Amino acid sequence: MSTQEKIEKMLKKSEVILAAGGEKRVAKQHEAGKMTARERIAALLDEGSFVELDRFVRHRCTNFGQEKKELPGEGVTTGYGTIDGRLVYVFAQDFTVEGGSLGEMHAAKIVKVQRLALKMGAPLVGLNDSGGARIQEAIDALAGYGKIFFENTIASGVVPQISAIMGPSAGGAVYSPALTDFIYMVKNTSKMFITGPAVVKSVTGEDVTQEQLGGAMTHNSTSGVAHFAAENDEDCLQQIRYLLSFLPSNNMETAPIVETGDDPMRVEESLNTLLPDNSNQAYDMYDVIKAIVDNGEYYESQKYWAQNIITCFARMDGQTVGIIANQPKVMAGCLDINASDKGARFIRFCDAFNIPLLNLVDVPGFLPGCNQEYGGIIRHGAKLLYAYSEATVPKITMVTRKAYGGSYLAMCSQDLGADQVIAWPTAEIAVMGPAGAANIIFRNDPDVKAKTAEYIDNFATPYQAAMRGMVDMVIEPKNSRPTIINALQMLESKRETRPAKRHGNIPL
Amino acid sequence: MKKYTITVNGTAYEVEVEEMGGAAAAAPKAAPKAAPAPAAAPAPKAAPAPAPAPAAKPVAAGSATVSAPMPGKVLEVKCKAGDAVKAGDVLLILEAMKMQNEIMAPADGTVSDVRVSAGQTVSTGDVMIVM
Repeated sequence: MSTQEKIEKMLKKSEVILAAGGEKRVAKQHEAGKMTARERIAALLDEGSFVELDRFVRHRCTNFGQEKKELPGEGVTTGYGTIDGRLVYVFAQDFTVEGGSLGEMHAAKIVKVQRLALKMGAPLVGLNDSGGARIQEAIDALAGYGKIFFENTIASGVVPQISAIMGPSAGGAVYSPALTDFIYMVKNTSKMFITGPAVVKSVTGEDVTQEQLGGAMTHNSTSGVAHFAAENDEDCLQQIRYLLSFLPSNNMETAPIVETGDDPMRVEESLNTLLPDNSNQAYDMYDVIKAIVDNGEYYESQKYWAQNIITCFARMDGQTVGIIANQPKVMAGCLDINASDKGARFIRFCDAFNIPLLNLVDVPGFLPGCNQEYGGIIRHGAKLLYAYSEATVPKITMVTRKAYGGSYLAMCSQDLGADQVIAWPTAEIAVMGPAGAANIIFRNDPDVKAKTAEYIDNFATPYQAAMRGMVDMVIEPKNSRPTIINALQMLESKRETRPAKRHGNIPL
Repeated sequence: MKKYTITVNGTAYEVEVEEMGGAAAAAPKAAPKAAPAPAAAPAPKAAPAPAPAPAAKPVAAGSATVSAPMPGKVLEVKCKAGDAVKAGDVLLILEAMKMQNEIMAPADGTVSDVRVSAGQTVSTGDVMIVM
């Protein structure tokens, strides 16, 4: 064979693989409103930056006549490229090839990029679109999943791992995404469940559609499994690019500084009048967030789930911060099981990746009730305490209004290591709701009404805490932005270590 | 939807039976009101239901229900049966956790039933309004 022939042979082999599952199946993929694996990668990465690895990998299964089957690219495209000029590893399952099913070599391709991402300290983005295990390959496929889970876990906290569900993801396939930091789901086309509707029906008798059981909004609003919802493939991929713009590439770096053009000294008059005079009336915590962050721009994780707590990324003077905020507008901003889980996981992500924490506090307490107690609010609420205490990144707490009892501690009081605690004059930092407290203290007093009013005046304020140095400063709300930015700059050189240990034991 | 009162061992249960349509939304289970012993509750089977309803779970389907997100006291009801409402309209004020919580319509629609009145206490999951 001449050199020219050898080159042509290679090109021909490539051509077959690039055609994926063939015209028919590609057309079907498009009809379903989905892009192909290669189209997705092209849309995700900077133009022309993709470098493919393992194009010629082939399965070696000989069961049930599989040896005669050609599965172009083994049903997954892997490699690396850049997003905003920064190195990223990526794999995209190809539904047009044997339903994107995962076999031994399919898994091996994924594991290779997982290891490379870890070695190079670059984020890994997984685009999932697979019918599940390739049953013909039996436990070789199963072992493939196991290897992927293991690598996911090892890389956790070292490089950001992002999963997009862009088609089915059922059974064992759900656990790789679940082990990563963030899950995106595309509306209508993505589904995630341990067992599908047919099995559910046969076991529990429940009649449920795929969409109800594991659609994008189910997992974004009901289960809290997913973090982001996307309108379509293109939107999903653009959102992933956007998310990565807030994040460092690994745990040794800090997030990129972006020139946002917003004045760090900006005074926001609207904040002085935002809070209603009656502290039993709600206001929208998003108004506070928008007023203080650069250009009012923020990117929210788990926007539709546990809405009584807000978790989002934003920038302040160009620096990424992770904001955890109580939302008085939803369930009074109280902490319940889901809010605790949501907050704690976000805190730990930020701490792992050197992203300072900004806590906006207006919390009346933990939610009482049998549901909560039986569900283990003690166990779940403890996650917040643990996550905040464990975190060594800069921690800034700003109390806008209520900060009562254990829930105040759980929102990172000074005792849990907040580096700077800022209070608005409207803050009510107290051991419990002042009316309730007065009722206990003065319960036998004939003058209980007057005494309660006096108690509220004295104790539903930031000054009891400020007198003890638990609050570093009380500021006019309008000065929040410059005050926080100043604190962030002051905290840039923060260094804090914890005792050496194998790992802590967070209450799960 | 059909309502039956069923007496089991001297205790009256109010039971709602509905034939499940294709578009039945996965609405919360309509708990038998004031049933002390949920074990005695597979009552729908005993009901002289004309439709062979899948007994396991009576679903208050089709319509949207607004239930209490947490235990509290209804301070003010701002809608009445028959009102047309838009998603985000305030239906009632629930005082809970030291806060006057605005309970909003989950979607556009018409209020078909208001099951609470001002001053009433509710616990988590209680259906307050049916749309």
